[in-house]
Amino acid sequence: MTSTLRSTSRVVGRTVAVLLCGWLLHREAGAATPSVQAAYMLGCQGCHLEDGRGFPQRGVPALNGFVGNFLKVPGGREYLVQVPGAAQSELSDERLAEVLNWMLRTFSPAQLPADFRPYSAPEVGRLRKSPLAEVAPVRGELLRRLETVAYL
Amino acid sequence: MIRKWLHTLDRWAEKATRKDARVHSRRAFLSGLGASVVGVGAVTLLPVFRGSAFAQQAGSDEGDPNSCDYWRHCAIDGYLCGCCGGSASSCPPGTVVSDITWIGTCRNPADGRDYIISYNDCCGKSSCGRCVCQRDQGDTPIYRPQTSNDLNWCAGSQADVPYHCSLSVVIGVND
Repeated sequence: MTSTLRSTSRVVGRTVAVLLCGWLLHREAGAATPSVQAAYMLGCQGCHLEDGRGFPQRGVPALNGFVGNFLKVPGGREYLVQVPGAAQSELSDERLAEVLNWMLRTFSPAQLPADFRPYSAPEVGRLRKSPLAEVAPVRGELLRRLETVAYL
Repeated sequence: MIRKWLHTLDRWAEKATRKDARVHSRRAFLSGLGASVVGVGAVTLLPVFRGSAFAQQAGSDEGDPNSCDYWRHCAIDGYLCGCCGGSASSCPPGTVVSDITWIGTCRNPADGRDYIISYNDCCGKSSCGRCVCQRDQGDTPIYRPQTSNDLNWCAGSQADVPYHCSLSVVIGVND
């Protein structure tokens, strides 16, 4: 009797959970996409995809669960602004700083250093003036540094 | 976190069920449970916004998705998948959607809002050849590849080339 009650209660509990989720999702119907996310969608998502998983098989690096690691080694903070997709994007310095901060917090919160300092517009503006001509060697060196300090 | 939440919910539901069992008949309970199951089914039919889902419902829609004039195709360059056995948001059988793509916006004349559109290609079969459509609004030269519709995005797909047809999928609202 007890086990029957338990399993029945689970069914009821999960039914309530599903109804609750459905109601919450329904409330968002037609809602505008947050503007920072919209900027990511229009400028980055085509390759890095909606959850930042990228397409490593085709050379599009995954952001999720990783990109925050770059802030742990010298040169990594600069690298995230100087990669062509960021430095040469059509976004203003202010918007690019917002999108980078949003990407780091959304896709890689667990890898962010405890003393994470968000990018500012002046910092982004300064760094993007020196975009990387050759990305792969710089990325390779940063990954080696990450391995060396055993951050991964 | 979810496990903990479900556990709390289970405990709450168990208490509620025990209390309910003391005051209501089994038949009444089964009738209520049946209504809940139907309710859950009905909820899944609602026009729900799913932020991370592939396709999203546009607020209101008008026009023929198989016509080049359809509002969602404002920047497309290719064959409309709706004329090739698929739809404006789903690939025809036997083809695979290219994950890597380009994304732009189109204004929906029905509500005046700008929707974010993903122009994914469907790949793996030779060109469909029906309903060719080239509108190019906001299209950029290929040295700005993230907003260029001249690229064969099937090169970024699991299925690889050849290109078959193109989608216009609503993925957000850019107000």
